[in-house]
Amino acid sequence: MSVQIPPTERLRTDTIEINMGPHHPSTHGVFRMVLTLDGETVVDLEPRFGYLHRGIEKTAEERTYVQNVPFTDRLDYICGITNNWAYALALEKLAGIEVPERAEYIRVILGELTRVMNHMLAIGFLWNDLGATTFTPVVYAFRERERILDLIEMAAGSRMMPSYIRAGGVVADLPEEFMPRLQKLVPHLKRFIDEMDTMLTKNEIFRARAVGVGVLKAKDAINAGITGPVLRASGVKYDIRKADSYSIYDRFDFEVPVHTAGDVYARYLQRLAEARQSLRIIEQAMRDIPEGPVTSLPYKQLSRLKPPKGEAYGRIESPKGELGFYLVSDGSNKPYRFRIRSTSLLNLTLLREMCLGHKVADVVTILGSIDITLGDVDR
Amino acid sequence: MYGTGLLKGLSVTLRHMIGTFVTDIRKFPRRYFTDGNHPTRSPEPYLHGTFSIQYPEEKVPMWPRFRGPLVHLRDPETGQPRCTACGMCERACPHGCIKVEGEGKGKERKPTRYEYNVGRCIFCRQCVESCPFNAIELSRFYELACYDKDTIWDLPRLLELGDKEVITEQGQFWGET
Amino acid sequence: MENIWTIENLWNAIGTVLRNWLAGFLPAWLVTLIMDLLVIVVLLAIGIVAVLVLSFMERKVAARAGDRYGPNRWGPYGLLQPFADAIKMLIKEDIIPHVADRFSFNLAPVIVTVGAVMTYAVLPFGRDMVAANLNIGILYFAAVGSLSIIGLLTAGWGSRNKYALISAFRAVAQLITYEVPVGLCIICVVMLAGSLSTQDIVLAQQERGWFFLLMPGIFILYFLAASAEMIRCPFDLLEADSEIIAGHFIEYSGMKFALFFLAEYIHLFAGSAMMVTLFFGGWLGPWLPSWLWFLIKTFVVIFVFMWIRNTFPRIRIDQVLKIGWKVMVPAGLVGLAITGFVDKLIADKLIAGVVLFICNIGLIIGVSYLMGRAQRRKEMAAEGAALR
Repeated sequence: MSVQIPPTERLRTDTIEINMGPHHPSTHGVFRMVLTLDGETVVDLEPRFGYLHRGIEKTAEERTYVQNVPFTDRLDYICGITNNWAYALALEKLAGIEVPERAEYIRVILGELTRVMNHMLAIGFLWNDLGATTFTPVVYAFRERERILDLIEMAAGSRMMPSYIRAGGVVADLPEEFMPRLQKLVPHLKRFIDEMDTMLTKNEIFRARAVGVGVLKAKDAINAGITGPVLRASGVKYDIRKADSYSIYDRFDFEVPVHTAGDVYARYLQRLAEARQSLRIIEQAMRDIPEGPVTSLPYKQLSRLKPPKGEAYGRIESPKGELGFYLVSDGSNKPYRFRIRSTSLLNLTLLREMCLGHKVADVVTILGSIDITLGDVDR
Repeated sequence: MYGTGLLKGLSVTLRHMIGTFVTDIRKFPRRYFTDGNHPTRSPEPYLHGTFSIQYPEEKVPMWPRFRGPLVHLRDPETGQPRCTACGMCERACPHGCIKVEGEGKGKERKPTRYEYNVGRCIFCRQCVESCPFNAIELSRFYELACYDKDTIWDLPRLLELGDKEVITEQGQFWGET
Repeated sequence: MENIWTIENLWNAIGTVLRNWLAGFLPAWLVTLIMDLLVIVVLLAIGIVAVLVLSFMERKVAARAGDRYGPNRWGPYGLLQPFADAIKMLIKEDIIPHVADRFSFNLAPVIVTVGAVMTYAVLPFGRDMVAANLNIGILYFAAVGSLSIIGLLTAGWGSRNKYALISAFRAVAQLITYEVPVGLCIICVVMLAGSLSTQDIVLAQQERGWFFLLMPGIFILYFLAASAEMIRCPFDLLEADSEIIAGHFIEYSGMKFALFFLAEYIHLFAGSAMMVTLFFGGWLGPWLPSWLWFLIKTFVVIFVFMWIRNTFPRIRIDQVLKIGWKVMVPAGLVGLAITGFVDKLIADKLIAGVVLFICNIGLIIGVSYLMGRAQRRKEMAAEGAALR
């Protein structure tokens, strides 16, 4: 039985509208959300992006196919290798280029290392958004990322902008030092993931904050085209490595982990499990890697490449989800259309629906759990 | 039991705190790893212990393939630049940060002006790969901060940097022939 | 004449000598006035020195927890870093937002800092070393310590910034909530000690053993409530970096920001010192002089606070209030009842202590079990939610 308060005596309250971003510590770049708050509860949220728009798609139409490779590094600057890979795959489909065996193994090793790196970083930043203000998990994740980036730098010459995977293979063979270091790094990364697991998974504050927050229904996720760990954390077993097996993933024995809660905690667990599976793939690839040439198309041929008229869509399972490049060729040495199906943008589309009814603090957590890179959102 | 997860987390951070002091003790009288054998680049990865590079005192050597700014290589016999101003690098550059002008025909052709805008360069190495004369390579310099906007480097400067760098052949670390 | 110059008695001896010297040529009331002012100045100085040390320590602990070195450039091992920080803060431009309420904007840092500094008056720094040995010392501490809520509210309102306003809401909700469990825990201690004076509480622990050992459950309760009072992690919602950027001091810069910073660390020091007084036997300890024992214990407690800050994420505001009202207040009341009954019914102090300890362990297990069950239910409900 509730006491009826006469309307005149009731507290007159109003909603407030706040701008979260473009400069805000936890929007992962220059992202802006217009929040309407009733007290602390989010009643409306409007994402606004485009602050980092560089017009890569249009610029790419003015460059030759090989000149576009460095642009793909700059989409999702956390995982440059997989961006290169997706573009190379599209171009290989377009021009019908064969890839040597060894190059495929190198691609798999570096791509899976990128996945481990991205997932560890995502977990670290999720904790940062949750309020581990002194960055401890982020620093741990960065340390391991540094080791992985070291290997990528050793092979490609650059840490974050590798431009290493090109149509027809990879730029150059792995240096001699690479394999011994990788063999030591993989068990180390396993230990590190176990340590993160010990430190974070059972933490009661984390569970209180993350369980049941930002639930994404499987049906909505499929309708919105959400892919990657976010989709799989919602219970949909969809991984392009299995569903539309590209490269040599059909040779490896790995599982696609699935969680069914669809909340922030499930996404966290999903990333942890996927990082473990990636290490499994790397171990097998290290064991099986053959000797041989690493590219079927040296630079001097690639730079003069004129694919036949037509179109091709190459997609891979990037750490954040399905990353696709859609290329249309008019027979010249430049793409007629260069379209990027960017993962982060599509994963962001249901942000409003996930956040409604939660608190301000949850908004940053949910955004962190989606794991976006603004370079990929705005392109 | 509610609360054990919190204690586990605390134990991990405590182990890390102790680990940093263990590193300190291990290198004790020194404060920096000045011998170039920094743990960051150590082939043995470890879980606990400090990981910072204390930059001006400790410098990590770059990998041979590190892609820094462009340098020109000299012909070892004559000491002259190998560049013939063919303009392939200019055409290959995705950002248009190279400008070449030359004079002469055939083997006699020499660059009169070679401008390399390091401020616009994205270090993609496509100019080097396109070069048919084994004349340019990316160096391993990385301390590029400067006080003025003097980012356009000309040929003498690129040659001078090339002399400092040990690279003598294009792609010698890239497994190219 | 006995020798007053022992290390134990160092600070009091300096005071006595100074007083005797002043009494030689000044009237008695003036001597009292000067000596009182001197004590105030010394307390303020302790506050500022503590802030310098703590800000350095905070950065070093954060760095060490993250496999880093922390500040190490200015001075040997970076020891002069806090001075550089202080100079930087003092010479920064003082910006007052155009639309701010100037009066409350300028008043807020003063209220917060004064509220924080005043708590030092009752801290027992050592044997016979307390600025004002009030017989209601604890009550004074609790009352003055919560003065800063008003300052935070003023700051949040005066800045005319929505983030600051949210922070002010949180300040009022959180700090009022956690006054209650803090009060309940203090009452438990006071019942055992039989006095509200901080010095008497310390002396009572000499007799009965540290209250931390007698009442671990109450101690954990007090620890959490006090970290909420001090706005320390995991209850640092008011200045949540990742959510509301810096909360109430988002618009402050320069000297005024420095005052907030000062207040935060003075609160940390005072809160830890009070925790040492209430539960860890204050300045009691063998061999070393009492004031040194007090400092050592205080810094250990402060280290624990920093350690926690470097490990845990932050709790959400509704969870903070829920834990406050639904867990800590009932647990505090149960603890209060236990302490009262045990203390009155069992005359023998040793047996009473043992019974109290067992009851407290039971309290911890009970609360932990109930919270764990609630969490498990929530997690089971969340499982498969995406597919429904």
